[in-house]
Amino acid sequence: MEDLVCPLAVLPTAGGDREGGGSRSDCVSMAALDLRAELDSLLLQLLGDLEELEGKRAVLNARVEEGWLSLAKARYAMGTKSVGPLQYASHMEPQVCLQASEAQEGLQKFEVVRSGVHAPEEVGPREAALRRRKGPTKTPEPQSSEAPRDPLNWFGILVPHSLRQAQASFRDGLHLAADIASLQNRIDWGRSQLRGLQEKLKQLEPGAA
Amino acid sequence: MMGRGKLIAVMGDEDTVTGFLLGGIGELNKNCHPNFLVMEKDTTIHEIEDTFQQFLNRDDIGIILINEYIAEMVRQALDAHQHSIPTVVEIPSKKHPYDATKDSILRRARGMFTAEDLR
Repeated sequence: MEDLVCPLAVLPTAGGDREGGGSRSDCVSMAALDLRAELDSLLLQLLGDLEELEGKRAVLNARVEEGWLSLAKARYAMGTKSVGPLQYASHMEPQVCLQASEAQEGLQKFEVVRSGVHAPEEVGPREAALRRRKGPTKTPEPQSSEAPRDPLNWFGILVPHSLRQAQASFRDGLHLAADIASLQNRIDWGRSQLRGLQEKLKQLEPGAA
Repeated sequence: MMGRGKLIAVMGDEDTVTGFLLGGIGELNKNCHPNFLVMEKDTTIHEIEDTFQQFLNRDDIGIILINEYIAEMVRQALDAHQHSIPTVVEIPSKKHPYDATKDSILRRARGMFTAEDLR
C-alpha cells in the first residue's frame, strides 16, 4: 500500500493514523465508494417503497370499488335519491382524523385515529357505600365532548346492510390512504436524498460524471 | 381543540365523496369551510381550482383524496405542490379507472433515473 503514496501528496490526510500516510486520491476514492454504497442502499429502498406503493394502491382501488358497489346496492334498496348529497348533515364532525408524526427531518408519517373518543360511561355507584335509593340523584355531566354522530344516521334509523358494508369498505380505504400518503412522502424524501448524494458524488468524481 | 389531529379532505364524484364521508372524515359547521367537494355537472374548473388551493393552504388538512380525472384538471397546481403536508392521494372514479401513468408521484419517480445515473 506504501507504493501508492504519491510523492507530491505531502498534505496531511484527515486520518493521520493510516499506515503509509495514504494519498489524497485514496481518501477521495474511499469516500466515493462509501457514497456509492449509500446510493445503492437508498436506491434499493426506493424501489422497495415503489413496489409497496403499487401493492397498497391496488388494495385501495379494490376497497373503493367494493364501496361503490355497496352504495349502489343501498341505493337500489332505499331509492335512487336516498343515498347522496341531499342526505348530508348540515353539521358534521369528523369521526376519524389524522395523526402526523415526523420520523426524520422532512419525513412525515400518517396514521388514521378515531377522534372524539370519550371515556366509557361508568355504571354503578361511585363510592363503596350504599347508594341512596330515594331522593334526587344528580347525574354528573360527561366531562369530555360529545362523540361525533355516526354518518350512517343521516340516511335513516334502519339502514340496509349494504350501506354498513359501504361504510366498512371506505373506512378500510381511509387507513390505506394514510399508508399510501406515508409511502409517497417516503419516496419523495428518498428522491431528494438520492439527488443530494448524486451531487456529492459528482463533486468527488467530476471525471466519472 | 387541543390534541386534535388533522383532517382528510376529499374531492370527487358523488359516490366517492359520499363513501368517504360515511367513513367519518366530514367536517361542516357554521364557522368552518367544508373539507369536501362533490363534483357535479355544473361544477366549474375555476371552483375546483379554488377549492384545491384552499385545501392546500389550510393547515388543518393532512391528506387530500382526489379522483384522478379531477386531479388532471389541476395537474399544474398539483405538480407545483412540493410540501409533504397536505399529501395528495389520487384515487380512481367510477367512470375513470386508475391510470398510473398520470399519477404525479409515479411520474416523478419515473424521472428519477437517467441512463447516466445507472452507469
